[in-house]
Amino acid sequence: MDQEFQSLEEKTGAAYWKSLDELAQTGGFREWAEREFPQGASELSGGFDRRHFMKIMAASFGLAGVGLAGCRRPKHEILPYVDTPEDVVPGQPQFYSTSRPTPWENMPVVAETHGARPTKLEGNPSVPGTAGGTDIFTQASVLDLYDPSRAKRNRSGGSTLSRAEALDRITALGEKIRESGGEGVAFLAEPSTSPSRRRMVAELRKACPALTWAEYQPIDYQAGDRAATRYYGRPSRVQPHFDRARRILAVDCDFLGREPGSTRHTRAFSASRRVDDPKEAKRMNRLYAVEGDLTLTGAMADHRLKLAARHYEGFLAALARALLAGGETLPPGLVAAVRGMPEDPAVPADWVEAVADDLRAHRGEALVAVGTGLPERCQFLGLAINEMLGAPGSTLSLLEREEEEATTISQLANALQQGSVNTLVILGGNPVYNAPANLDWPLLQQMAGEVVRLGYWDDETSVAANTFLLTPHYLEEWSDGETREGTLLPVQPMIEPLMDSFPELEVLARLGGRATVDPYEIVRETFQQRGGGSSPGAFQTFLATGVLPESGYPVLRDATPTGEVVRVLREAPPAPSAASASDLCVQFRPSNQTLDGRFANNGWMLECPDPMSKLTWDNAILISPQLGKQLEEAGEGQIFPAANLMNETGQLVQNTARFKRGKEQALMAELTVNGATLRGPVHVLPGLDTYTVVVPIGFGRTAVGPVGQGSGFDAYPAIPADNRWNASGGRLQLTGEVYELANTQEHWSMEGRALLREGSVDEFAKKPDFVSKMSVESHSPPIYGRNKNDPLAEKVTEIPQGGSMYKTPEFTAPQQWGMSIDLNVCTGCNACVIACQSENNIPIVGKDQVLRGREMHWIRLDRYFATQSEDEDGLPDDVQVAFQGMACVHCELAPCETVCPVNATVHDSQGLNVMAYNRCVGTRYCANNCPYKVRRFNFFDWNKREIDHFYEGPLGPSGPPKPLKMQKNPDVTVRMRGVMEKCTFCVQRIQAGKINQLAKAGASSDVLVPDGTIKTACQQVCPAEAIVFGDVADPTTRVSRAKESPRDYAVLGYLNTRPRTTYQAKLRNPNPAMPSKYRYSQPFGRRDYEQRYGHGGGHGKGHAGDDHGGKQPAAASHGNDY
Amino acid sequence: MANIFPRWANRAPLRVIGCLLLVVGAVIAGGTYYLTPKYARVGYEPTQPVSFSHDLHVTQLGMDCRYCHTNVDRSQHSNVPATQTCMACHSMVKTDAASLQPVRDSWANNEPIPWVRVHKTPDYVYFNHAAHVNRGVSCVECHGQVNEMEEVYHAKSLSMAFCLECHREPEKYLRPNDKVYDLTWQPESEQAQIEMGEELVEHWRVNPPESCSGCHR
Repeated sequence: MDQEFQSLEEKTGAAYWKSLDELAQTGGFREWAEREFPQGASELSGGFDRRHFMKIMAASFGLAGVGLAGCRRPKHEILPYVDTPEDVVPGQPQFYSTSRPTPWENMPVVAETHGARPTKLEGNPSVPGTAGGTDIFTQASVLDLYDPSRAKRNRSGGSTLSRAEALDRITALGEKIRESGGEGVAFLAEPSTSPSRRRMVAELRKACPALTWAEYQPIDYQAGDRAATRYYGRPSRVQPHFDRARRILAVDCDFLGREPGSTRHTRAFSASRRVDDPKEAKRMNRLYAVEGDLTLTGAMADHRLKLAARHYEGFLAALARALLAGGETLPPGLVAAVRGMPEDPAVPADWVEAVADDLRAHRGEALVAVGTGLPERCQFLGLAINEMLGAPGSTLSLLEREEEEATTISQLANALQQGSVNTLVILGGNPVYNAPANLDWPLLQQMAGEVVRLGYWDDETSVAANTFLLTPHYLEEWSDGETREGTLLPVQPMIEPLMDSFPELEVLARLGGRATVDPYEIVRETFQQRGGGSSPGAFQTFLATGVLPESGYPVLRDATPTGEVVRVLREAPPAPSAASASDLCVQFRPSNQTLDGRFANNGWMLECPDPMSKLTWDNAILISPQLGKQLEEAGEGQIFPAANLMNETGQLVQNTARFKRGKEQALMAELTVNGATLRGPVHVLPGLDTYTVVVPIGFGRTAVGPVGQGSGFDAYPAIPADNRWNASGGRLQLTGEVYELANTQEHWSMEGRALLREGSVDEFAKKPDFVSKMSVESHSPPIYGRNKNDPLAEKVTEIPQGGSMYKTPEFTAPQQWGMSIDLNVCTGCNACVIACQSENNIPIVGKDQVLRGREMHWIRLDRYFATQSEDEDGLPDDVQVAFQGMACVHCELAPCETVCPVNATVHDSQGLNVMAYNRCVGTRYCANNCPYKVRRFNFFDWNKREIDHFYEGPLGPSGPPKPLKMQKNPDVTVRMRGVMEKCTFCVQRIQAGKINQLAKAGASSDVLVPDGTIKTACQQVCPAEAIVFGDVADPTTRVSRAKESPRDYAVLGYLNTRPRTTYQAKLRNPNPAMPSKYRYSQPFGRRDYEQRYGHGGGHGKGHAGDDHGGKQPAAASHGNDY
Repeated sequence: MANIFPRWANRAPLRVIGCLLLVVGAVIAGGTYYLTPKYARVGYEPTQPVSFSHDLHVTQLGMDCRYCHTNVDRSQHSNVPATQTCMACHSMVKTDAASLQPVRDSWANNEPIPWVRVHKTPDYVYFNHAAHVNRGVSCVECHGQVNEMEEVYHAKSLSMAFCLECHREPEKYLRPNDKVYDLTWQPESEQAQIEMGEELVEHWRVNPPESCSGCHR
């Protein structure tokens, strides 16, 4: 049985790897990596041979002449306005502030509109906290507006309702419920942060006192708020300030990823993570993470403890006790309660103590973040620990929320069961798909005589409703909302509603029998009530800036824990038994693609690779390598790849698990948990707790548009009402079937060269230039010859020949563009990938084409795993994760340019490597010669044909349908089949910035664009502010200063490509006082460099480059001495 | 032994060559006529729904270009005026002229006047008016003497070579900013133009892009 693991045991020293195949260096992987494009990507398939091709082409050439008569210029019409609206300048985009509502927070955005079509959303820089950053879902949400499969008609039963009929229904319903005083009427709404909606609901309930108002959202993000409310006895919320914390412990809290407020948190966290000056290096924060899953926060952590979810409580109790033992204080009742909590043997006491010491040493600068999904006792412990650390008032604020009264879906279910509800109104959400499994909601819903649904999609719930009314997209309606800290934000319409839809506010106002039902007026009233002022100017300012300053929740004064806390802590059950293969810990997680299922028809999201698993279009049951190994040993099938197809005796080994032509051949499995059985493919993800299985929710929708059809499996049937996040007692059984997963993990692999560089804070403080001493560059730096020490500004314009006999270009433009990416703060959130897609008209290609390696994203977010040691099976024990966004780096001496036979890719005078699409003939030589593998080829007319009909060419249906074209950025060419494309540094934004400056300059010499005016889409969206772009010919710009950092390096710089995008090395901040098992002095990945290239400090020392195939012991402690 | 080739075969090579010449000639002629902007575009003069005379409005009445093309110095796109702009005068002047019926209809029915596009660059060209007219490039350089046109026609080829002519030697075409909309302005002499142009290029730091990204994105 160990045969399969042989390859992993004989691991050849690549300490950075992206997949288990790469780690094992299987034949399949080697072939895959060595190819120009992934295999299958550049081949004709589908029974189409060369002869057939020639026949068809000959015929079409013959016909070409016939059509010539139509070549004369067609008649185009220009249709100007009859009466031009104010402020509209045809050809110029307009920007309006608004915000994207979610059930837990509103995300402030500025919408770019072209001719009244919103095309791109960006963060609103006027709003403190997020300050211009946004998350990936906000970026993708604009696509839903134009989704051709969004619901189009109001209907009742099977018949369509006209707008007037629909209005009549609403009025009639309102009269009915007001007459009955709300008796027998129940509302089930998605929670909302909108104060206007709260007002409308309050008025409605006042008019109908007997009415039931229930709220439900499948991702329970409110556990934290509920716990804080019980803890302090008043409605409250804990708002952490990561920028003020130097020591952070996150307990199952993915505050850089899926937690609410993550954009704000990422910005704050990166502010205290960023180090420019080596002398200040020690000021960098240190992050500890405790989790069973592998999240973005865990990836960022300096020390990460793998722990199954059932032990979180034990961990927090142990930490609280360790802090108490260290002399911290709590109210006496609480002390006794904490001391009395059972001890959990699964929690490593030495880890806890070391962390406790570190936190205590930074009292007032320490913060413990507990995941919003954790049960109440964990939340209580988290609050108590933060109190001990002096966090309230310094690293976190306690805010006083407004009380919201709503019944839960379970209580509503009881009422339905008893038959006391005859009219059920469902506002938003999708309970038929995602209601708790134990309620049997689809059936229950029928118990109400009449079901009225107000929704956006023709989803499961709409289909099951008697009456279905359309709601507008948030870019089509007036509303408002709040950030996590309660700051008021507007929601403004950007476009006339595309459908006959009814805003939620209007419907509630009508049902409540209000005189004013216009949402605009309602929002304005709310604004005045919130102290915004009653002058029209004040409201206009609010809309223009997109925020009402100082309107956040007040700080909770005199907050002391209630007696309730002690009682709850005393009720702690005995420590849980350790998990095992027959008692798995199952974690349900919001998907990084569909969230809770609401993005299930969004092609951008589905095709965006999950940051960790790199899966697209599907979810999978994520298991740890150790569990995989155990399943294999139990004879359940082969999960791991074998190095050779032939074993030592010459027998062929059936290997189902390998990547076949780059397609992950995943085994199907049945996961039994909470009395339900989920069927899905298994994907091995290193870094998970051994007996933790992670299941992303939000897939497997049944009533969804064509894009989301058939992607993934539905996990909701296994999620009950009481615990939405973690379950115990799971069992996993392989079924023997194989399922192809579209995994982008190994596409465009760079084979473990020193692409991503990491160091420790200590090292950076002592040897700030450690980065330039790593890898081949220390031996063969870029060849600048005698111009080596010229300032950057000169190097980028003169492009020194460096002793080469070939002439180099000279870049004459006064401004030269360049970029710097700080890997130290990049969290791998993927927002840049989607921002780029939205800005640059990048198409989606569908699962079938991703399987062939033809995805089109211009930014590829490389995710590298690194290990320090392996267990006896050769499986990675613990992993460190690092991300590196990779797009065209705009080499000054670009290898792609020299091979283009038609000069379609050339340099411009500002140092950009540009693609002239109309010249490209599609030889793909450039992609072949690009060392960074960042060029993407249009194998089909992605923009002209429908997904899954690419092979039918013009005979197939033409698509994507019209509405999607409205999203396209008019300043960027929509590329056609047969041309190459890649990152342009957002050349349209550069040109717009320059032209605006020229227009401003007029008859003067003021033509230089000021620093910071031009922002690329990826830079703008980045919540961590990891990307800086600007003029590198000017030494005072931010980007020039970033490039002067000692951490600055060029990827593959030794190829003398002289890329304009350079990276700043990642730093880790290990705690030297950790117990030896967890201690490390240098990032795990350094083992690779030490082994391959020696210590780099000088020639001849530790030169192990020749024997990198040999087995070497872990060299993690090696690095201190060079 | 009979001849292998019949007698007509003697003339076959000539015929083949003749045919080839004809085909090649037709391709070249066709290509030149259909595909080069010089023939395909220059002289294009579609009939407009309203026979608007630039000659009358500009030369005789002395109106400025920007009275109608209001956004030319603010946007990439030089807008065709809204009906409102026409009606500003024609609600009082020539209120019953038959030729203005489409304008009045448009105003009454709130439907745009379907003007026919004359100047069009390909989709992959991103020309920007504001960048040019604010920096000493007159309308006349690309659109010809529109001020004298009874009906607008395509005067210059607007091919890439045409653009590059100016981008390579801007001093030959630049003029002071206050003369940009004066389509009748002429330099005193060729020599004077070059001297003034060179001065403008230097003082304004004029650096027109000659690489792809200037116009193609």
